Formats: sequence, C-alpha cells, structure tokens
Amino acid sequence: MKISKKIIDNLKKGGVDFYLSVPCKLLANMIAILENDKDVYYSAVPREEEGMGICAGAYLGNKFPCIMMQNTGIGNSVNAIVSLLQLYQMPVVFLISYRGTPGEPVGAQGGMAKITEDILQTLRIPMLHCSSEKDLEKISTFSKHAKVVESPVAILCDFNLMKDDT
Amino acid sequence: MNRFDLLNKIQNILKDNLVICNIGLPSQELYKINDQPNFFYMLGSMGLSSSIGLGLALSQNKHVISIDGDGSVLMNMNTLATIGNRAPSNYSLLIIDNGSYGSTGDQRTFTDENTSLKDVAIGAGCKNVVECSGDETVNALNKAIDDKDNSYVIISKINSGNVKIDPIPINPITIRDRFRKFIGIVKYL
Repeated sequence: MKISKKIIDNLKKGGVDFYLSVPCKLLANMIAILENDKDVYYSAVPREEEGMGICAGAYLGNKFPCIMMQNTGIGNSVNAIVSLLQLYQMPVVFLISYRGTPGEPVGAQGGMAKITEDILQTLRIPMLHCSSEKDLEKISTFSKHAKVVESPVAILCDFNLMKDDT
Repeated sequence: MNRFDLLNKIQNILKDNLVICNIGLPSQELYKINDQPNFFYMLGSMGLSSSIGLGLALSQNKHVISIDGDGSVLMNMNTLATIGNRAPSNYSLLIIDNGSYGSTGDQRTFTDENTSLKDVAIGAGCKNVVECSGDETVNALNKAIDDKDNSYVIISKINSGNVKIDPIPINPITIRDRFRKFIGIVKYL
C-alpha cells in the first residue's frame, strides 16, 4: 500500500484530479485508494481507447486526467493517442503497470513488454521509468511536465516495484 | 431526411450547449451549416465522440451533446456501458443512425441488418433511451436538455446520404482553444 499511496500522492501533488482505470492486479491498491478519495474523480472504464476519449473530454472541461492501465493498454490506444490527444495537444498522464518486466510470472506478458518503450518512443511520448521507490518522487514534477508541453506522458511502474505493495 | 437535414433542423438547440461532433462528414456538414466556437469537431479517433462528451460532462456543468453515428458507436460499443453507469444529467448522446458508414461511401452498417442500438443501450444500463424519427429528434433533444436529473441516449433513425463537402479548414489547436474559451477556461483569445 505504501508504494501505491506514494504514487497517488505524487500524482495529486502534480495536479492530477481525474482518474480512470482499466484494472491490473498491480494497480489494485491504487484503485482502492481512489475509490475512497472524495477530492478527485475516479471511475473504472472498460477499454483503454475509450478512456483516452474520456480523458480528452475531461481536459476540455479543465480537469487534469490520468488513465491507469497495463502496458497492453497502450497497444489498444495508439490511434486515439495520436489523432486525438496529440493532434489537439492534450495533457494526459498514463500510469502504466509494466507487466512482463522481471519478476513477472506470466510469460505471455513478455511480448508487449518488449515493445512498450519502443511504441512510446515512436509516439514521442515522454517516459518516466520507475523501478525503485526513490523514482516515485519524480512523479509530481513529471506530471506537471505534461501540462507544460501539452502532451500525454507515460509513467512506467516495474513489476518488481509493485508486486510486494500489499 | 438525411444527416445534413437533421443537423440543420437542430441548429437552434445546439447553439447554447457544448457539442462534440463525430469525425468526417458529420463535422464537415455541421461546419458548413453554421460554424460555432462551442462545436468541437473531431478530426480523428473515430468512435470516441460519445467518450469525449462524457468526459466533458463529468468535468464541468454546461450541457454536453455528443453527436455520434451508428458506425462509430458500433466501433466503441463499450461506451454505452460506461454511459449507462456514469453519465451525469448534463449529458446527451445523439446517435444519428442512418444504417451506413456515410463518410466512407455509405457502406451498410449492422444497424441496417440485425443490430438495434436501442436494445444495446438499454442492455448496457442506459436509463432514458429514445429511438425516434428525424422529425421527432428536436423534441427528444429539448426534453433531454430540460431534464436536469437524467442523461439521455437518443437514436435518431434517418436516411443515408451525404452532401458534397470539403474538409474542415480550422486547425486542431484553434478548435480546441476557442471551444475552451466558450467554456471560460481559455482567456487569451
């Protein structure tokens, strides 16, 4: 819970006030925290691409949105990222559980893990890779950066960082 | 009645509300009829009109009308479940259902065969689902806007067919900023 709390605290410190999630067991604690947080909007959403659309609308309405998802969700969302969020220069934080990184027990997750950073690089999305607790301190500044550059940004949280956060 | 006729017919209703308009011909026709700063024209991301409108309605108090199409809703059908569970009362989804992919040459969609978006919306949990003719759409929309306690999904059954039209000449950042200025967020324009 300590890691998840730190991540949410830093996102909130960075100004993020609108949260969506497509679940992942590594995000479960964050979802539980947000469900009980009266200061911000939170909802589950069935699919990441749809979430990108909701985030775009939230930005138009003056919220600072974040969508929490597995890295697989980036694969589901490429067109929405490019021809909606980037086309209209909309700041959105992607909080990504980086499935398929070392510690991952499910071999099938390795495929998307191998290409996740390549996709984000191809999309020219700034990345913050969190592999230790110390990295989490950079989240608030990094989130604010999304607003400055009017772009989606991606925070990748390694499997091993999240797995023991019970 | 086709989409162009319907968009003409609802102009007076649109003018005081925030409008998210579907990519392609719907946006191009709306632009040609009566361009307004409170119209957010989608230039990409087919399927997401309903989702953008939902996010916007959740984030501020003005009434939001998402203008969507049958082909686009079929592409993002989970949106109806999200709307059925989360849509606030300042949200109306207008699905212009002409049974065809108008922007790509009027290929038939599944709503022209076995699929009923009304039944899908009801099954997805949407509470106020209205299926109506093009002529009845004005009344349905007015009712949706006047009802301060409920969101609505309106499925307007019209004929296919498009008018010949040019792409929208406004750049995306201009669309974004004048729209946000209308809401009162952008001050510098």
